[in-house]
Amino acid sequence: MGQQILNAIFIGSIYALFAVGYTLVFGVLDILNLAHSAVFTLGAAVTYTLVVNHGQSFWLACVLGIFVAALMGLVIEYVCLRPLRRRRAPPIAALISTIGLALIIIAAIEQGRPGTLFAWLWVDGANPVTMPPGAFPNPTWHVAGLTLEGSKLAVIPISLALMLVLGYVMRSTQVGRGLRAVAENPRAARLMGIDVDRMIALTLVISSALGGLAGILFGVALGDISPYIGRDSVEVRGLAVIVLGGMGSIPGAVLGGYLLGLIEVLAVVLLGSNVRAGVAFAALFLMLVLRPQGFFGAQLRERI
Amino acid sequence: MRRLRLGSVLVAAIIAAACGSAGGGGTPANSYAGKTIKLGAVLSITGAGGVYGPQSRDGMNLAVDQINKAGGVNGAQISLTVADDASLQSQSAQVAQTMILSDQDLALLGPTLSNSAVAVHPLAEQQKIPILAVSTTGINIVPNCNFPSTVACRYVFRDSLGEETAIPDNIQSYASDAHPSTGVLLVAQDDKFSSDGGKIVEANVAKYNINLLKTIKFNKAEADLSPYVTTAVGLHPDVIFITSLGGIPAKIMIEARKQGWQGQFLGGNGFNTATVSKNAGAAGLGARSASAWYLGNSFPSNADFVTAFKTAYGHDPDQFAAQGYTGIKIIADAAKRANLTFSDLAGDRDRLRAAMETVNIQSPLGPFQFTSTHDVKQTVWVIKMDGQGGFTLVHEIKAS
Repeated sequence: MGQQILNAIFIGSIYALFAVGYTLVFGVLDILNLAHSAVFTLGAAVTYTLVVNHGQSFWLACVLGIFVAALMGLVIEYVCLRPLRRRRAPPIAALISTIGLALIIIAAIEQGRPGTLFAWLWVDGANPVTMPPGAFPNPTWHVAGLTLEGSKLAVIPISLALMLVLGYVMRSTQVGRGLRAVAENPRAARLMGIDVDRMIALTLVISSALGGLAGILFGVALGDISPYIGRDSVEVRGLAVIVLGGMGSIPGAVLGGYLLGLIEVLAVVLLGSNVRAGVAFAALFLMLVLRPQGFFGAQLRERI
Repeated sequence: MRRLRLGSVLVAAIIAAACGSAGGGGTPANSYAGKTIKLGAVLSITGAGGVYGPQSRDGMNLAVDQINKAGGVNGAQISLTVADDASLQSQSAQVAQTMILSDQDLALLGPTLSNSAVAVHPLAEQQKIPILAVSTTGINIVPNCNFPSTVACRYVFRDSLGEETAIPDNIQSYASDAHPSTGVLLVAQDDKFSSDGGKIVEANVAKYNINLLKTIKFNKAEADLSPYVTTAVGLHPDVIFITSLGGIPAKIMIEARKQGWQGQFLGGNGFNTATVSKNAGAAGLGARSASAWYLGNSFPSNADFVTAFKTAYGHDPDQFAAQGYTGIKIIADAAKRANLTFSDLAGDRDRLRAAMETVNIQSPLGPFQFTSTHDVKQTVWVIKMDGQGGFTLVHEIKAS
């Protein structure tokens, strides 16, 4: 059971880190950025290709992977969101435009094979790949019947630290206050002299950097990097997490992430492997019925 | 005299023309000259089956290239269109429909996944177009493509070794070598290929005195397979059976080894590509499966294929490339003998179907013929992963 709890904490950390980025954008813009899962994939793909295709060190590749993910946040803002905002398009239009960008990103990664236009970005088309052995230190310990793997253990403090830092930034810094002001009322924020467009762009950059990092941690720790890890592994679960925690709430996304990880693993252990997804989404349904605003719904009035 | 000479020339010309036309109705040389044999392949280039589809495509393209450069099929050039079904059943059927009705292809190959075959094969049967499965290994592919109907499908053929043959052969081979007593099955429950493989494992382990402790089902899109692997490893089985697609077998092997499990992995067709062996790396060392093909076979039809493939693509082929390559050779051989008219598409499709039933060629898979149910009858090669992205041969099991 101890190993299963560790499994739950690990995957919960990934869900939480991914969902924080999701919920941050929702809190500020009131839209779901469905390109977030593609950014998750992009972070992992760029890191992998820098190590394998371009011979860079793993640590530099991670930094650049996060940087490219953050840049993609700007692309999302300037290409998918801002033009629609200018035209006062309904939120569904932004939803569709981010889906479109996600498909383009995934297709670009899929096309990456030797001799193609995208060979620099990826090396193996649709195939899943793993980081080459020895690319990063990954000691494994066996303690009291538990298997403790360095790359998975590292995910937990990294995720928690980043979420704490983000919480601090949101609560106690000028930038955080600006972001919260935009989330509460963009018009009032603009009247108060806040550059709303800049704040929104910053939100997308932070959100995408977190998404890219989550993708890197996922791909490295699970040995699974493919064009589909975002779509298959975290996209829908990320939505479930932010509903569980309360739409737009960062503490809610953290709690929801760990809760979903725990529910999924306990479902496997206690009820049988074939009901994992069913139990997780049954819990989500129950939450929607009993407490539609999620765990931190009371804070909905004060977003992010 | 001059009139006599002219008459002789005319007689000779008439005889030559008669021979030509007799050849057109029989087995002529060059009777298809200037024509094009249009084929369509529905393959999973992207999505879960993207591990296998590109290999099939490369094998097919190599065969087409070789045949066309050697003068074609009785002079006709083969035109192969490959369409990606994204590993989706619905897209697979749409693509096949386009090839049958709009493109008016003579025959189809594919689809990559058994899950898609249940949609595409009945369509081909209904439209009376020959279709050759080159990688689908699930249950009820041939002859009963319209399962649960037991009426044999006439237009559906398969050159890929079915799991109903391969998995029991693999279990038997390992059981006689190592006498394992317990096993756990990890099976993806949400696609036909994987769940069929699981059913075959469950139906066969007892025959070889293996007690199946638990069947652990999961979905392909699970974020993390660790909880399932932890459950399996916690039961301390001698063998872990894995029936799943794409990168999943490798993920399971890596996780199980990390958790300290030292037993034997046995699998199905999902193991049989270099990508899975490469991804599993050292964790996959010794993992066994039964394959339709083995890279190291030195008989000429395989050695020539391997050399040509490496020259064309710069890397070794795998089983899926060999089956795709063989698929084109099978259709070319049948087309050569089918007396195609190129004016009556429905008739040509039926003539090709009839000729496919009597195919008898040397292929990278070995001597190739279809059974009376349009399935493949061939030697089975039990192979194991070498821990470095390749495979080594363990046993050769002749077709009974």
